[in-house]
Amino acid sequence: MAVELQLPIAGEPDIVAARQAARDAAKRLGFGLVDQSRIATAVSELTRNVVRYATNGRGRVVIREVAAPTGRAGLEIVVADDGPGIADVSEALREGSSSGTGLGMGLPGTKRLMDEMEVDSALGRGTIVCIRKWAR
Amino acid sequence: MAQERSRGQTVSDAQAATIAQQRETIRELQTPVIQVWEGILALPIVGSLDTARTQDMNEALLERIVQTGSEIVILDITGVPVIDTAVAKHLLETVSAARLLGAEVLIVGLSAHTAMTLVHLGLDLSGVTTRTTMAKGLELAFARLGLEVVRRGPPAPAAALDRGDL
Amino acid sequence: MPRVPILRLGSTLIAAVQEDLYDRDALELQEALTAELERTGARGVLLDVSVVETIDSYLGRVLRDIALGAQLLGAYTVVVGIQPAVAVTLVELGLELHGVRTALNPEKGLALLQRLFRAERRRGASDGR
Repeated sequence: MAVELQLPIAGEPDIVAARQAARDAAKRLGFGLVDQSRIATAVSELTRNVVRYATNGRGRVVIREVAAPTGRAGLEIVVADDGPGIADVSEALREGSSSGTGLGMGLPGTKRLMDEMEVDSALGRGTIVCIRKWAR
Repeated sequence: MAQERSRGQTVSDAQAATIAQQRETIRELQTPVIQVWEGILALPIVGSLDTARTQDMNEALLERIVQTGSEIVILDITGVPVIDTAVAKHLLETVSAARLLGAEVLIVGLSAHTAMTLVHLGLDLSGVTTRTTMAKGLELAFARLGLEVVRRGPPAPAAALDRGDL
Repeated sequence: MPRVPILRLGSTLIAAVQEDLYDRDALELQEALTAELERTGARGVLLDVSVVETIDSYLGRVLRDIALGAQLLGAYTVVVGIQPAVAVTLVELGLELHGVRTALNPEKGLALLQRLFRAERRRGASDGR
């Protein structure tokens, strides 16, 4: 039975709650400490984007266990908001586009931590980021 | 208690534990981290380095740094056949991660060919200390720790060692 | 009252960062440390992150900013206790924490600060000041 957990994002405390929930889910799936850290950090980055950039800083996180066709278990996390959207997704995802000054969304870094990442966003349409990590 | 797989096979917890243990053993054999002196770890790498192997290597190394409190790591790449951008980046990641735990990484075993390759790749190697041989790396490691190896006399014959005459 | 208490040991300020720090708490810590540095003239800052399981780009930048601010006020900063899993993640995130000195644990961190203080004194002495 696939486990799914939904969490609202409405403020800073939810960043901590979401990454802790993601870490717990990763632990349950048997991910090692380093992968737990990668997953928690990625969720932290994405939920912070919602708090910083989404309208009223609101959005939602869905954490679910998934299975590949091969039977391999994985964790899929979707972070979504109805904010202004990202004007140029490919630019946001480009390596080096987010500098260390704190103004970027940290998407390239998040992508490096995960096995898969998809960004669905456009101006005025909000943003949906889906990340996946597969158990080894 | 059995866990169900999607194809209807069942893997017992005991079997899963054995597999995990074996995987751990293989990992340890592939990335031996040796404590050559108090405060100095050596990591001889033999074979090619890919992302997965580097990750395993980093994890094993960092754990040993924590266990031993070592402040110097000598990474010996003599046995790494190909140094390309990917491998070089992996090595730099190892250097950075160890530094975050307060350990300095010395890379030894660079050939002239490797040196030229790294220069051509144009990577920022300014924070990396290298030496050509393990012996030179050890010499530097000792110096960093304020240690010195001094010759006190001629080499002792093996028999003297056995008798404990040293 | 800051969430993270700041202790003073000689000329070093010590702060043990808690595990679940909200962004505003991290900022508050940065402000409190900077104010305390100015007030006391302390020359060292020791940040213990040994119970922090997640250091993301935000906390990483705060740590770096604390070190930069401390430097401007004439103090060295050492971050200690970064967990191995966190170290690997930070490196993969591309957050090298350049300019931030690190040590394995508080003892080594304090020893490093002592070495830095001594080196500074020697330099001052040799300059004839």
